Amino acid sequence: MSEEFKLSRRKFLEKVTVGIGGVLTALFGIPAAIFVVKPVLKKDESSGWMRLGSISKVTPGTPTLFSLKVERETGWITDQDEIMVYVYTEDGRDYAVMSNICTHLACRVRWIEERQEFFCPCHNGVYDKQGTVLAGPPPRPLDRYEFNIENDDIYIKVG
Amino acid sequence: MATRFSNWLDARTGWRNVWDGIFLRKVPKVNWLYTLGSASLFIVVNQVVTGILLTIYYVPTPDHAYDSVQYITTQVALGWLIRGLHHWGASAMVVLVFLHMLRVIFLGSYKFPREVTWFSGVVLFLVVIGFGFTGYLLPWDEKAYWATTVGTQIAGTPPLIGDLALRILRGGEELTAMTLARFFGIHIWVLPAILLGLVGLHVYLVIKHGISTTPKREENSHE
Repeated sequence: MSEEFKLSRRKFLEKVTVGIGGVLTALFGIPAAIFVVKPVLKKDESSGWMRLGSISKVTPGTPTLFSLKVERETGWITDQDEIMVYVYTEDGRDYAVMSNICTHLACRVRWIEERQEFFCPCHNGVYDKQGTVLAGPPPRPLDRYEFNIENDDIYIKVG
Repeated sequence: MATRFSNWLDARTGWRNVWDGIFLRKVPKVNWLYTLGSASLFIVVNQVVTGILLTIYYVPTPDHAYDSVQYITTQVALGWLIRGLHHWGASAMVVLVFLHMLRVIFLGSYKFPREVTWFSGVVLFLVVIGFGFTGYLLPWDEKAYWATTVGTQIAGTPPLIGDLALRILRGGEELTAMTLARFFGIHIWVLPAILLGLVGLHVYLVIKHGISTTPKREENSHE
């Protein structure tokens, strides 16, 4: 009888000890996870329609590079970030506005005039002037921006 | 399943001996003052966890220290809580280890065979003071800046070695980015390494010797 009582009390205290340990772990662990993860879920880029530049700068038949300064808030730092965009037109009526970010692993592609191709130096990804993949590892064509042409200006949708 | 796994683990690590050694010790009948050491240990865990978390956002340069602390406090989810726990935990730590020391002195627990426990405790107390001193600068606000100016100036007062001591503490003649960087390094690398090593020794010795009993007045001893 008394043996049995002692045993159950010991078991009880052991469970209480483990229980308190578990509660404390949760009390630290859950806020820690929120502290680390939640801030990264916030979108940090300014978004909306922004003026890219004058459409008259685009030479038909050659992708033309435009750059756009975007204000970016990262943590406690606000600074300017540059977005690079290629604008291409064949006939001056239909336009393609392409990101210069390679769709493989996000290196920056550049237009090689002699070969008439976009080339990504990281893993030899090759795209044609419309952004279609010609060779290498990129899984899909260069990303396109939504755009709008008003008077002489071209606007793109950022974010 | 759980039993099979714990048996498997015990056969390979002997963890049950360790567990029993920690939790199934014989404890004499003592009072609540004997929990001050455990309370200090709990605050150590709190400071380690919240301190590690704070380094994820904190940047120890004059350009960013203040802003990153403000960012933690006002923007990061639960940042106020993590920083608050570290801030108040620091104060609680100093108070608790001091009371713990008084308890050990007044109840004679430092005596044979526990001298090494006492010595390691003395160093631990100094380490805690070092944590408080270096941590105070890190928010890089006016209070931190001037408190550290004064504190390091005091180190400069002894003859002969004073100037060198001041330069070593500040990383130069003035309180600058060098000071902030080295205080940060001391606060998160040097002192924690010393602290954790000594806490290990301290707790091991407490377990090895068991908790001291409260002193008893012997019959006839005062005649």
